Amino acid sequence: MSTILAELQALDPFRAEVRDWLARNLPADWRARMTGAAEEDHVAFQKFWFRKLMEPGYAAPHWPREWGGGGLSFAEQIVLYEEIARAGAPRLILYFIALHHVPGTLLHWGTEEQRRRHLPAILAGDEIWCQGFSEPGAGSDLASLRTRAERRGDHFVVNGQKTWSSNAHLARYCLLLARTDPAAAKTKGISYFILDLRTPGVSLRPIRQMTGASHFNEIFLDDVVIPAENLIGPEHGGWAVAQSTLSSERGLSVLELAERMREGFKLLTAAARAPSPAGRMPIEDDEIRRRMVDVRLRIEALRLLVNNQLSGVLRGEAAGVEPSIIKLYYSELLRDFTELGVAIGGIEAQYLEAVLMGGANETGYWMQDYLYSWAWTISGGSSEIQRTIIAERGLKLPREPRAA
Amino acid sequence: MDFHLSEDQQALVDAVQAILRDHADLPQAERLSYAWHDPALQALLAENGFLDAARSMGPLEAALVAFETARSLRSIEAMGSGLVAPMALPDRMVEGPVALAAERDLGRAIRNLTVARTLLVDCGEDSIVLPVDPGAVEQVASILGYPYGRFARAPDPASGQRIAGGGALLRQWWRTGIATEIAGAARAAIDFTIDHVTQRQVFGRAVGSFQAVQHRLVQRHGHARSTCYLAMRAAWSARAGDADIAVCHALLGIQPLLFDLHQFNGGMGVTTEHSLHFWTYRIRALQAEAGGLAGAALDIADRRWPAVEGANG
Repeated sequence: MSTILAELQALDPFRAEVRDWLARNLPADWRARMTGAAEEDHVAFQKFWFRKLMEPGYAAPHWPREWGGGGLSFAEQIVLYEEIARAGAPRLILYFIALHHVPGTLLHWGTEEQRRRHLPAILAGDEIWCQGFSEPGAGSDLASLRTRAERRGDHFVVNGQKTWSSNAHLARYCLLLARTDPAAAKTKGISYFILDLRTPGVSLRPIRQMTGASHFNEIFLDDVVIPAENLIGPEHGGWAVAQSTLSSERGLSVLELAERMREGFKLLTAAARAPSPAGRMPIEDDEIRRRMVDVRLRIEALRLLVNNQLSGVLRGEAAGVEPSIIKLYYSELLRDFTELGVAIGGIEAQYLEAVLMGGANETGYWMQDYLYSWAWTISGGSSEIQRTIIAERGLKLPREPRAA
Repeated sequence: MDFHLSEDQQALVDAVQAILRDHADLPQAERLSYAWHDPALQALLAENGFLDAARSMGPLEAALVAFETARSLRSIEAMGSGLVAPMALPDRMVEGPVALAAERDLGRAIRNLTVARTLLVDCGEDSIVLPVDPGAVEQVASILGYPYGRFARAPDPASGQRIAGGGALLRQWWRTGIATEIAGAARAAIDFTIDHVTQRQVFGRAVGSFQAVQHRLVQRHGHARSTCYLAMRAAWSARAGDADIAVCHALLGIQPLLFDLHQFNGGMGVTTEHSLHFWTYRIRALQAEAGGLAGAALDIADRRWPAVEGANG
């Protein structure tokens, strides 16, 4: 039997414990309460659920115990994420950066003072963080960023613009990349900062998405002063720090998404059994049945791809191009899955409905799910960038000549 | 499961690969052919126990052997004798090579029949073990990457040994075998194409340095890899549902796989002078044998959602 399965089977008592805890503590009516919820109610519920999950150590299972985390083994984390997904519990989307990117960055590169200042506050549920990486002219090509941070003695003065910053309007702090040495090569002159979003000179503008929601923001920085003690890692060495940030997840987030998708498929079958106005059920149509099989098979394949990455992590291997392969696979599958939902829903799927806040990417409100799926083939490195990474680093194809 | 091979599995794969490397080339006379079955290589693999891996080690190991042999330019019958027969007939040994057919197809051309000593027949509820008399088989000319034969006169199923209730198990392992061989042939065809686009220069650059080529190859590679994982899972879990999923997933990606690989090999890709067709025609044969994409997908749909009531997704 494979190593990962043996490890997971040995954790059956822990799995039962998690399942039991979720059954006792997950509010049965949370979906109803969060469907169409006002933003303040959504934030309040995220904080409630975060603090509830903290009680048994489930909110930050990957954090070391010395910093108040659950200190769970990687195999235990796999079990925990599987159970949370299967229970259909809320996703802690407001805390994603705080729970994953902040410790992944501060525990490796931060000062003791930075850790003491922020890590306990995050686990108290008090600090929501956002990311200030992308810019209007630097998305997938992040190293082209132009936001400028000039050193002036014991502080930096920052000017520039960030974009696609999820939940910045709800956050207190931002992980910020800015150029500190404009004369250096693209990746050499960047530094990494903690930005307090209440600093004078910071202004936000929400971006209204085509789904109607406004998760993303632009952040404008006009003569914003950041104390030098908020620099993370070496000055001009922020690119390496950012790599730590982006590699901090190790496959568990996509494991949760894959499991949630498996659960979400039940919504699709339920929709396919709902009679149309003409009285026929979509599931009786061979084309719909074929497409349902296609999606179902790919959900299985996704889970195997994820398993393979997780077992690599368990063996202590470097991730290689697996995260790119999985991200590509997941985002295309999500698009096809939700598009099928739209097809099954027919005209009824075109009307505006109330959105489930903090749910999975498959909510059964198909048009919203479908439109939101388009963000997944762009965010975190577009599909085109992922394919180039896989081609050059995985398949070892010749590199495309670099622009002069 | 994960896909990290154990020491024993790695040793098995290494040993098969070593033998196949020694038999990598085709004889000059066969280079322009559509398929070449090498009886000596078949015998060598059998004598060294590689086709007994299902019984001596397990079905996953047998699938690993079938995956590796499917990567060879030479046609090797490892699926029937190495995987399907031992798993579908756990209590009896049959003489290999083994061909596979549905009862309704006994009058048609059958893959590997010209080299087979045994034919396993899917009769729906039951299965039948039929010894093959080579004298009763006519060779069928085909482009399909395997030797094909037809009975001069369709055999009487009653002359074989009927396995009551054996049909489902035979179909399950047949599907697992097809998914495995498609995964192996796809891997070989992709590797061959990567080698070609790395070497071949156009406009002063390697063909493979163009993103238009890279990105499509990545898509094909991702699908082939996930097919391999699903096939190995089906062999490992021995569950019929996993076999269905594996074979259907394999079929899903065939059309773009075959088109893109031939396209990226340029003009040579549509000749028989370039080897690619040995794998791609093999994949076409397996696609047809699995009933085609529509048939396989609807089979799964019918099993998963047999009636509108009662399915659970």
